[in-house]
Amino acid sequence: MARSAHHGSTILSRMTPALRLRLGFLAIGNLLLVGYLFAYTLATPDTSFWTEVSQFPSGATPLLLAGLGLTGIVYAGAIDLSIGSIIVVCGTVFGILMERQASPVVCFVGCCLVAVLLSSFNGVLVRWSRIPAIIVTLGMLKFYRGFAVLLARWHDPEFSGQFTIPQTGAVSFRGPGVEWAMWILFAGVLLALAWECYGKQPRLWLAVGNSEEGCRLKGLNPDALRQSAFLAGGVFLGLAALVYVTKGLTIEPVRMATNFELQVIGAVVLGGTNIFGGEGSYLGTLLGGCLLYFIEKAILYASISADWQTAIQGMLILIVISLDCVLHRKHKRMEELR
Amino acid sequence: MKFRQALLPLMVAVEFACFLPFSGTRFDSFVNFTRGLWGNLEAVLIHAAPLLVLALGMTVVLITAGIDLSAGSLTALVACVMSTFAEGPEFWYTAVPVGLLIAVLLGGFNGFLIAKMDIPPIIATLGTLFFYRGLCFVVLPGSTNSTVFNRVPAWGPLPEYTWFGEFPGAVILAAITLGLVGLWFSWSRWRREVLMLGGNRIAARYAGIPVDFRLLQVYTLMGLCAFLAAVMGTAREGSVNADWQQGLEMQVIVSVVLGGTRVDGGFGSVWGSVWGVLLVVVLDDGLRMIGQSELQPVLLGLLLLIGVKLNSGLLADWFSKPSQTQPAS
Repeated sequence: MARSAHHGSTILSRMTPALRLRLGFLAIGNLLLVGYLFAYTLATPDTSFWTEVSQFPSGATPLLLAGLGLTGIVYAGAIDLSIGSIIVVCGTVFGILMERQASPVVCFVGCCLVAVLLSSFNGVLVRWSRIPAIIVTLGMLKFYRGFAVLLARWHDPEFSGQFTIPQTGAVSFRGPGVEWAMWILFAGVLLALAWECYGKQPRLWLAVGNSEEGCRLKGLNPDALRQSAFLAGGVFLGLAALVYVTKGLTIEPVRMATNFELQVIGAVVLGGTNIFGGEGSYLGTLLGGCLLYFIEKAILYASISADWQTAIQGMLILIVISLDCVLHRKHKRMEELR
Repeated sequence: MKFRQALLPLMVAVEFACFLPFSGTRFDSFVNFTRGLWGNLEAVLIHAAPLLVLALGMTVVLITAGIDLSAGSLTALVACVMSTFAEGPEFWYTAVPVGLLIAVLLGGFNGFLIAKMDIPPIIATLGTLFFYRGLCFVVLPGSTNSTVFNRVPAWGPLPEYTWFGEFPGAVILAAITLGLVGLWFSWSRWRREVLMLGGNRIAARYAGIPVDFRLLQVYTLMGLCAFLAAVMGTAREGSVNADWQQGLEMQVIVSVVLGGTRVDGGFGSVWGSVWGVLLVVVLDDGLRMIGQSELQPVLLGLLLLIGVKLNSGLLADWFSKPSQTQPAS
């Protein structure tokens, strides 16, 4: 049955009509915002649309790749609130390796590995402690941020609060965030879409998110599947962290990646993934993440004060999540009545 | 539960005793020791007073199987708004009512998102955490700006206001709030309905309990507690900025969870939350005294997980489980 379901099926054909409609709206929304940016840059002398296009990979890649990782986790009915904090630890490890004269490749691998390890650790904690993922990752959110600062102080008791990324060298430390961001994004997107189309694991995560009891009766292990979702999420998060950490000139463990987890959750929910699990799409997350990125750019170009930007972003994400929950409210109430 | 009720005060006492030598207390005579001990107790109680009031609201929220991550941002926003009003006697009938109204409305907004829009509480309040914090930057532009908040006698003509931030004013206000609300909560039918919301929401709906309205009330109560915490906090510190009280919600949640309230709802103890707050505040002050305040987020994260695991019955084989009908003490 599974083979015939795979044979000739596409991502779109397996979606519900509501999800396809959502993707349609997101695609239109993205086009409209790109159109607005194009018109604005055309009308304004000292701006360039191609500059914006060239900034897109390094600006949007962390959000999109982290969103892809979180999507798999949410499929399985869990969530990871410690995404931003994991990126902070990755950045700190990157900075420490850099200051200890490690080669750029070692720094890149170290950064990615830390994300995989910490995300997997979250999965292990959720599985073995039997505490809801939302609480575990809420605790780890604080823990990892504090741990990053302690790590930096252990490396250098006189730590100034930031690591400076050098600009020179045969292989630039900022390569992933500046020069190769587009290729990393392309590879991550290709991997995610191919996996969703042809892979078994995303389907199993969706099954766990839909009905844990049903999975158990089928002979699957929901806890192990959920743990594997965290591991896979860590791989995408590692790539996202690599780009995030290397796109700037400095790494500041105390200030970096604040508000990031909310943006990622917003991208995932906006893309049509049900926050309660069991339904969603990687393509939707990509479109949702792009929409949030272009909205941020539009707010910037609309000359809205920087003091308002955080409030507007928070409000937009709330609206997005509210609409999604209202749409699923009827379904939830019907479930309660059974 | 009886074991937990005995263990918490003991843990607070041991923790306090461990950090006492680093506080500058002298042990060369009984008088000096008593003076140092009393000074530290005063400092702990003043620091704990806003947290105690917030813990009261958070206990009720957690009992309904909810959570409020926006407590710190809401407290900061109320304080920021109140700080924009003019000093002087008119402060009492302009800033204070407006602050109270904003706190109640925004608390109610959280309740609306959770009850009517059916957003999971942690997601809704995570969103409002950033939204309210963003509004703090709108009210007080520039995160490093510090608005002096009528601290007397150095800056403002409101001698009565500082009473809420000093000893015994802050402690009295917290004690009155806890006493009145705690007593009412312990003996009211409302408490039983709230417990049922956390225990089994579907059954509560079938039992005729107005689930959405009760949730709205619970989060509005949290808003009211945020207002009182804002008053006490600003009266003590004398200034506020847009970054004020970052991370406060985490301290409150850990305190309440350590006090025995279950995050999955259905059981909670106001008295346990009081001891949980004292445990966290003594730890926070102690870490600051020994110059290790960077350990605070790490320990808070660990304490949250340990507390949740304890409440979910890690020790269930050794001690009796808390009964759902046990009155909140």
